[in-house]
Amino acid sequence: MRTAVISLVTLLSLLLGPDTAGGQTVVVGSKHFNEGYILAEISAQLLEDRGFRVERKFGLGGTLVCFEALKNGEIDLYPEYSGTLEQAILKLPHRVSHRELREILRRRFDLDLLESFGFSNTYAIAVSRGLARERGLKTISDLAKLPNLRVGFSHEFLNRQDGWPGLARTYGLPARPVGIEHGLAYHAIREKRLDVTDVYSTDGDIKKFDLVLLEDDRRYFPEYLAALLVRSGLDEQIKRILGELAGTITAAEMQGLNGQVLLERKSFAEVAQQFLREEGLLRSQGTALLGSRWGTLLFRAATHIELTLIALVAGMAVAIPGGIMIYRLRAISKPVVYLAGLLQTIPSIALLAFMIPFFGIGATPAIVALFLYALLPILRNTAAALFSIDPVLKRVSVGMGLTAWQRLRYVELPLAAPTILAGIKTAAVINIGTATLAAFIGAGGLGEPIVTGLALNDTALILEGAVPAALLAVVTEWGFEGLEKLLIPKHLLQKPAE
Amino acid sequence: MTQIALEKVSRVYGDEKALQDIDLTFTDDVTTAVVGPSGSGKSTLLQVINGLVRPSHGTVFVFGEPIDYARLPELRLRIGYAVQGTGLFPHLTVEENITLLARLVKWDAEQVKARTEELMRLVNLPLSFARRYPHELSGGQQQRVGLCRAMVLNPRIFLLDEPFGALDPITRNEIQREFLHLQQMEARTIVLVTHDLREALKLAQRLVVLDRGSLVQHGTRKEILEDPANGFVRSFFQSQLEQ
Ligand SMILES: Nc1ncnc2c1ncn2[C@@H]1O[C@H](COP(=O)(O)OP(=O)(O)OP(=O)(O)O)[C@@H](O)[C@H]1O
Ligand SMILES: [Mg+2]
Repeated sequence: MRTAVISLVTLLSLLLGPDTAGGQTVVVGSKHFNEGYILAEISAQLLEDRGFRVERKFGLGGTLVCFEALKNGEIDLYPEYSGTLEQAILKLPHRVSHRELREILRRRFDLDLLESFGFSNTYAIAVSRGLARERGLKTISDLAKLPNLRVGFSHEFLNRQDGWPGLARTYGLPARPVGIEHGLAYHAIREKRLDVTDVYSTDGDIKKFDLVLLEDDRRYFPEYLAALLVRSGLDEQIKRILGELAGTITAAEMQGLNGQVLLERKSFAEVAQQFLREEGLLRSQGTALLGSRWGTLLFRAATHIELTLIALVAGMAVAIPGGIMIYRLRAISKPVVYLAGLLQTIPSIALLAFMIPFFGIGATPAIVALFLYALLPILRNTAAALFSIDPVLKRVSVGMGLTAWQRLRYVELPLAAPTILAGIKTAAVINIGTATLAAFIGAGGLGEPIVTGLALNDTALILEGAVPAALLAVVTEWGFEGLEKLLIPKHLLQKPAE
Repeated sequence: MTQIALEKVSRVYGDEKALQDIDLTFTDDVTTAVVGPSGSGKSTLLQVINGLVRPSHGTVFVFGEPIDYARLPELRLRIGYAVQGTGLFPHLTVEENITLLARLVKWDAEQVKARTEELMRLVNLPLSFARRYPHELSGGQQQRVGLCRAMVLNPRIFLLDEPFGALDPITRNEIQREFLHLQQMEARTIVLVTHDLREALKLAQRLVVLDRGSLVQHGTRKEILEDPANGFVRSFFQSQLEQ
């Protein structure tokens, strides 16, 4: 199904797009926040304009996810910041120059850091304008005097060496910050539930939520020059083309681009195309903005269904025989069910993150994670259903002369079928929900707009993914009810009154 | 050929002796009723014959040979088995229940159909019931289906564990009549477990009396009624027949 959609899209781009002569596919990644999307989209469109096919893996779950993906060749490039590389990835004890940084990256990881886009997006600490005026807050040092402020930081900032730990040490800050999703922090500040949070200095949200940045009076935050990080092995021609983007964006311009998406609700594609055209970087008339809203929705739904279905079928293939084995070998039943239960308790995001070192990013790790989640409900229901079959029926089926296999096939499994089917249904519905998170590791699907929407504080965009996902879950329920009616004699669905 | 014989058969559950040192040769082609108080080991004795229960000691001979416990399914196909509460498979129709074994041993469709109709007629089941599920039948009708299912492969040995236990007296009477009719049509070696002595005397030519896992007496109706082996047998018969 997805292949069909893809070939349709490819066909369309062949008809509508400019010369797709290059024929080479470049995989562009981005982190899961506004600016990452914009810079990645600009790079992607530039390459498309020059005839390359581009596969977008945007909205990946964080710095490490992107970096690992790049190292493993799952993506060819993504926009990164010099400070992040120095601190979060290389964990360098001291500052280095841009040139030294490039040297290290090439030597140790075989990666090229291209020339910067031309601006630095450093971390900054923000408070609401009202609060700043009221308490006379101007610098980060001022925070030390107000221990009772409510502080919430993004999880990444909270845990990176160049984030909160160092900041607290440098300024002697007493606060006990909580972790909060970046997008939600702005809302929390507006609702006066939160006083202080971390922002990026080019954030379009700063204007939208009327925040002021506190001055970094002890010059704690390093420079975060934005630049494309690419695999060294990438075609030199591609690197050269991307090099055209060097020095084209100032910090103020970046705030403007961010604002266009956040405040004016323009799409990344629109903003990127307009930027490229203004910079005079487009050779052709610009990529036709492909795909209608419905087409996109359909494509995402198809991906979503594909992820869920493959995981579900694989889950069934393992968990039903597994349940049968548990039934036959009672001794292993406890450990197996506990193990499957344990898997279930791992938070989805964490499980997805665990998958990356083994399976990289994209559909594979997502399917593996969903598969693991599907195991428990199916396994447990299969075993429970088999265990609860009327012992008289079991005795009779043995006494009649059925072999173990025949009993399973003609008596035990049919009798267990309603409960097994219910387990499969549960697994399917859980999977549809969990699959929305798969977008964090570049698997696409209906989670894509949700992830993007979270990054942009865009409720409408979140709903664009959440509503179809919910509908899909409901339709799945219906589907299983129909299947039940079709496959299972009615009187077996309720316990017969005997 | 002696079809069923037990040689020094015991079966223990923990400390409990469900069967104790039983030597017993069943007479071929007649019905033998196994009677005794609850818990005396009747069902265990029956299940030792088709290998559902494996003796702790002793040997069970079926069709003249010791049971080969590695090849039980083949043996069991030649032994009909029906229990109280019918044990019909709720997910299969009447017809499917009756014919399951025949289909598994790959009879051709016509043979299966002919056999089904023959059996249903034999036990007075309307053919129109073939498509029904067990829960759509009365208790007596289900019991008849249970008998048909046990007879489908025409086994020479028939093991019945209180098959008419849960029926009302009238239905019970009817089925007992049909049972006798079946036996007249074609003689088989039948072991019938029952706690109802009147039923035993009505349906069986021979009786086996068990008490706490031990064989107390084995003989014809007449022998046992006229010459009870001990006080236990006498009082068991008196108390049962007085009611
Ligand atoms: N699987 C088992 N585990 C432990 N003890 C058992 C088992 N099966 C039977 N017994 C014991 O063996 C003894 C004989 O049981 P059995 O079922 O043969 O009695 P029965 O004569 O058929 O009784 P009833 O008339 O109540 O059906 C009983 O005391 C019973 O508790
Ligand atoms: Mg019994």
